[in-house]
Amino acid sequence: MTHEVLIIGGGLLGCAAAWHLARAGLTPRLIEARGINAGASGQNAGSLHFQIERRFLEPGGTGHAQGGDIVRLNRLAIEEWAGLEDQLGRPLDIHMHGGLMLAENEADLALLSLKVARENELGLPTQLLSGAEARDLVPRLASHICGAAWLAKEGHANPRILADAFADAARASGATIETQSRLLDLRRVGDDWQATIEQSGQITTASARHVILASGHWTARIAACMGLNIPLYLAPLMMSVTDRTAPFLPYLIQHVGKRLSMKQTDDGNMVIGGGWASAPQRMVDGLPDLDAPPHLVPDNLRANLTVAAGVLPCLRARSLIRSWTGMTCISADQLPIVGEVPAAPGLYVAAGGSMFTLGPLLARMLARSIIERAMPDEIALFSAARFAHLNAFVVQP
Amino acid sequence: MIDIAIIGGGPAGQAAAQQTLAAGLSTTMIDEQARPGGQILRQPPATFAVKGWMNGRLYRPLRRLLAQTEADTRLDWRGETSVAGIERIDTHFRLTLSGAHGGTLLARRVLIAAGCYDMPVAMPGWPLPGVMSAGAVQTLLKSQQVVAGQPIVLLGSHPLLLVLATQLLDAGADIAAVLMPQTYGQIARAALPYLAGAIFSPGPLIAAGAAMARLRRAGVPMMMGARPLGFTGDGRLEAVDYTWRGQTHRIAAQAAAVSYGFLPQSDLPRQIGAAVRWARPAGGWETVCDGAMRSSIPGLYVAGETTGVAGADAAMAEGEIAGITMARDAGAAAGSGIARAQARRARMQPFIDLLRAVADPGDVWPQATPETLLCRCEDISVAQVEATMARLSPMADASAVKHRCRIGMGLCQGRSCEHALVRRIAAARGCDPDAVAPFRVRFPARPLPVDEIID
Repeated sequence: MTHEVLIIGGGLLGCAAAWHLARAGLTPRLIEARGINAGASGQNAGSLHFQIERRFLEPGGTGHAQGGDIVRLNRLAIEEWAGLEDQLGRPLDIHMHGGLMLAENEADLALLSLKVARENELGLPTQLLSGAEARDLVPRLASHICGAAWLAKEGHANPRILADAFADAARASGATIETQSRLLDLRRVGDDWQATIEQSGQITTASARHVILASGHWTARIAACMGLNIPLYLAPLMMSVTDRTAPFLPYLIQHVGKRLSMKQTDDGNMVIGGGWASAPQRMVDGLPDLDAPPHLVPDNLRANLTVAAGVLPCLRARSLIRSWTGMTCISADQLPIVGEVPAAPGLYVAAGGSMFTLGPLLARMLARSIIERAMPDEIALFSAARFAHLNAFVVQP
Repeated sequence: MIDIAIIGGGPAGQAAAQQTLAAGLSTTMIDEQARPGGQILRQPPATFAVKGWMNGRLYRPLRRLLAQTEADTRLDWRGETSVAGIERIDTHFRLTLSGAHGGTLLARRVLIAAGCYDMPVAMPGWPLPGVMSAGAVQTLLKSQQVVAGQPIVLLGSHPLLLVLATQLLDAGADIAAVLMPQTYGQIARAALPYLAGAIFSPGPLIAAGAAMARLRRAGVPMMMGARPLGFTGDGRLEAVDYTWRGQTHRIAAQAAAVSYGFLPQSDLPRQIGAAVRWARPAGGWETVCDGAMRSSIPGLYVAGETTGVAGADAAMAEGEIAGITMARDAGAAAGSGIARAQARRARMQPFIDLLRAVADPGDVWPQATPETLLCRCEDISVAQVEATMARLSPMADASAVKHRCRIGMGLCQGRSCEHALVRRIAAARGCDPDAVAPFRVRFPARPLPVDEIID
């Protein structure tokens, strides 16, 4: 039997794409090597961050030109998140009460005002707040915080339950979702893709018109096995959570000059991250072990908590109950890679950064590009075609 | 950098320290209590004068070892300190410490002799104040000379309850009843295969018999075959419900001491990735080691209850073996008694097997109701856990259940509920608990004040 679409990976992207495809009547089949949401989709810190990063500010850089596209996507992502609970028909702990990007000194503040001006020019309604105004919103902010960029629709969601909601909705719309099903081989046979799949010791094959590699940090490795170069690199990260405390922080907190994301969950715990690295475990040949949880780097934990307690001194009175690690990946130019791979027609990828915040939107776009056989303009920036040159010399097995 | 870090100041850690210190190796001992002794000899504060403290014959070798340890000025003792993290860096280890001696400690070799803890058992009413583990009741007695409350009911499948009952009698406590779910016949049948071997270490058996006789003489109601149903009370324990001989009974109590077994402390071995296996009979994870107490990680050793709950005498023997092995592996002048200690440890095994067979809660677990909390930190009930499991594939592991319903996500990070969850998943799958992937143990092993990390 030939499937219209085979999806490799049961994370946020794969499950959401399965849902959109199933609703369009394409009855996709999704296979997942472990369990639903077992990878980065369930391990990230759940930030919904829509303010643009500082690399999109530098005048003259390529990032500057891309800023407009990023802002347009972020605005679409805001709409996407705002409608998710209704569309999926269940509570998802989505909180979009606003986010503050903080400045601790004059240099930070200068950067922030540049950023706010640029964002406003691009149509993102960020506001520059004084330190006092920021403290009106969060009275426990440190007294030296001298300003903040405020965006009303930022916030956070619960990464532990979102992929399940998509998976359930996908199943209800006719998708097949199989866990503990590992892809062993994927190759082109005629006009179709043929996958070899192992499930509880049984090996089967399946063919599909379209294949989506929604495999997170595994994407580049799977592509490499197929003879394809997709420039995605490991980004092993760490996150931390404290004990519970009475609600006081309904907003997402970020820092314009330092790595920090911080929020308070529904249950009262403080979740702290911001892109601090952990260390992958190594196999005997020295290559990183993609299946093993990365090791915590104590110096990075200390640095992360120092930044956090620097802007929110009351954290010093809390206790850390868990630091965990997870593996994601970034692309060669730090923009996600989403869409069909030119050297492998019918093969789609979606990976490479901001995959929680942008995930629901990108999954919809990816599904659309299969259903309509054309890539939506909104994600042209993320097209895999920009790296087509890397596959100029490959021979697919 | 020190030569040897010993985590745990109980009999295993002390016996090991004796060997490593004698071999001239710099040795640091870390323990959460202010004074060495472990749970078995949980000492009163130094300012207490307690007459006849832990005077029983079975405690004598332990007390001798403790006196030697406390007198040994070569030992770097760090009490009131928790080990929050353990990592291997090249060929040595880095420990992250919290408490009185917070900071980091670098050691060439580490012995984890962290003991065990009372297995929390979820049954109706178990979070009520007044319902305690037998170990907690005993600790209050040993170290604070306090009776947890009276009248007190002792219940569970573990014969430790008999020892505790005599200690409570000594303290003048009013014991309302001892409820054990096994009948005498079941105990005899469980013990029979091991009796022949166990006569080589008759001490504990004689002590158990003496304890029974003593309780009888004192008129303590001993109900064998009594099945506890749960605890009731308005805001605190007022009564214990149980069935006995086909009838339901209620007995008034201000305190209850529960013991269905003990779980090895496994946070640190699991955090560093040492091989562990499901412990029997009670559950939890014991660290795998060779006959010389080496774990699966080079330079990391284990001894005592960390390797499987077997009692203080076994812990002492294993500590001695581990100490000699560490000295040997370090190329120091190691003691010559390893074969003798191994033989001594081997002779204890039949009695340990007997005790495990007798104490096995396997057929006599108290029943939780759907409303019973499995996870006390996050208030997650049996019904919530079962509903979550029902939504997942049967192959879903413990972490998958945790991520969806928050069981095990609180302050204790699953120390109290993980064993119960794994057992439920295994039962649903019809497999052995050893086949279920447990929670991933992460840093820190104990809640760690943010202040301590960043300063």
